[in-house]
Amino acid sequence: MTARQEHPAAAQRNILLWVGLAIVATSLLLAVFGEVLSPYSPVMPTGNISTPPSAQHWFGTDATGLDIFSRVISAPRTDVTIALAAAGLSLVAGSLIGLVAGFYRGSLSELIMRVSDVIQSFPVFILAMILVALSGRSTFNLVLALAFLYTPIFIRLTRAEVLSQRSRTYVQSARAIGASELRISFRHVLPNSLAPALIQASVVIGWGILLTAGLSFIGAGVRPPTPEWGLMISKGANSIILGEWWPSVFPGLAISLTVFGFAAVGNALERAYR
Amino acid sequence: MVAFLQLLGITVAVFFLIRVLPADPVARLVGFNASDEVYNQAEASLGLNQPLMKQFGLYFGFFPSEQTGLLQGDLGRSWVTNENVLDEIIRFFPVTLELITISFIVATLLALPLGMFSAIRPNGLVDRGVFVYGLMAGAQPEFWWGLLFIYVFFVVLGWAPAPLGQLGPLTEAPETVTGFLTIDSLIAGNWEVFVEALTHLWLPVMTLVLILSGPIIKMIRQNMLRVLESDFILYANSAGLPARTIAAYTFRAAFAPALTLVGILYGFMLGGAVLVEKVFSLGGLGQYSVRSILQFDYPAIQGVVLVITAFSLLIYLALDVFHAWMDPRIRT
Repeated sequence: MTARQEHPAAAQRNILLWVGLAIVATSLLLAVFGEVLSPYSPVMPTGNISTPPSAQHWFGTDATGLDIFSRVISAPRTDVTIALAAAGLSLVAGSLIGLVAGFYRGSLSELIMRVSDVIQSFPVFILAMILVALSGRSTFNLVLALAFLYTPIFIRLTRAEVLSQRSRTYVQSARAIGASELRISFRHVLPNSLAPALIQASVVIGWGILLTAGLSFIGAGVRPPTPEWGLMISKGANSIILGEWWPSVFPGLAISLTVFGFAAVGNALERAYR
Repeated sequence: MVAFLQLLGITVAVFFLIRVLPADPVARLVGFNASDEVYNQAEASLGLNQPLMKQFGLYFGFFPSEQTGLLQGDLGRSWVTNENVLDEIIRFFPVTLELITISFIVATLLALPLGMFSAIRPNGLVDRGVFVYGLMAGAQPEFWWGLLFIYVFFVVLGWAPAPLGQLGPLTEAPETVTGFLTIDSLIAGNWEVFVEALTHLWLPVMTLVLILSGPIIKMIRQNMLRVLESDFILYANSAGLPARTIAAYTFRAAFAPALTLVGILYGFMLGGAVLVEKVFSLGGLGQYSVRSILQFDYPAIQGVVLVITAFSLLIYLALDVFHAWMDPRIRT
């Protein structure tokens, strides 16, 4: 038999997965090494003000003479790190709370779900603005605010899975040999219920990057002159009417690609899991 | 009833949330170098020196003899502009509503044929294009797309006006009747202002449509696929009904759930259009909320959240009614 013929749609999905993985890997690498790789300091003016892209400044310089390429590749340290930390925190908190809400049913479980409802029925962006602006615009507060917003998502996913697992045979066998409820829930049910939440995490990281950039764009996120994509776009927004497109186009392209990458990976994982 | 409890829950939650967070609105108002005397005076005038529960009672209007509150339909006064919050919101609200309503109409009209095509031929060319687009549009920096559109259509091509508000600087706004510029200008019979309002709207609308169409297409596609596989379509097919009739059946069955998503997104967009409003300086509810949050204007923040939530819940209610009308099975 010749090489297996793939359906074009399946091939497309494969390509998407690899593109997504490449983008995710690049953004993670840049989060670590971005500042080292920068040809210029991302926060020190170079003296060349508002120059278009050239061999010397690949992405040009902005209105205060900062090198845009250096800032674009240094920004993942802020954007990606915040999103990763927030997603990680909400994943841990959400799956633990979701386990409790699904495994030990009762008034506590009911209360948890109602509180999740209230958090989720808030307009996300406005709640994020309130949380960050009123608790002080710092990286740490951003992480906490985002984690707070995303926790209900993981509570819901884990709880739904726990509910479908809790009456399976392996749970009954564990109970039959005398395992404690605590041991059953943490050792047996939790690991079997994590998959949907883990898959969702990739998508949530993308959302986190988007929200961090959006908040910074509006003046409710990290403070200038931190290299951060949303801040850069906000700074470039003033000069785009003058025809200087490069200060805002490149950081936006970075956000767009990164978020797409995380979404593509999340989507591929979800298809594989089903 | 559940909706009302939710509204109550959110209102209470916001009230305490903004007071628990470590912001100092008094210092923001009088400046950080103000003397203690000035500070205390300002704190007293805002009512922040009273116990938390007393503030809560005052805001909700449990002590109408001292101060009217929510129960009397009073959202309080803005700490920054000293205007009635409800009046301010009524002024800003139509701008956002106009923007997102037009965007949703356009997005739905665009998404319907695309979603249907991709469902009729799964894994076909349209379907694959739509899949990638949906994956992309699901999460994109809309403020950046707005800027890109400004660059291309205003700076380079010159097709769109400067992104500096709803009308040109020299145009006089028509008399306010509904607050919607497009409708007001038509009422006033001012055709030029109507056209001008539209020319200022099409770029922000396009930006929102780009973001919104993705999830709507996906939803229509999924519903169409599900309906196409269902028994009653199989039966219609085997009974030899013409394709046109079957398409109409499918559409009818698939449209209702898709509309639910549109409704949810619509309520969500009231607070989600903030960034697009900012980029095009439209001065709607979004910008109002940004302003009040960044200036620690508590009554305004509470008002905005209350109005947005109430409006979303109203939409859900309207959707339920519409569903019952579309789908006789829900009627009891």
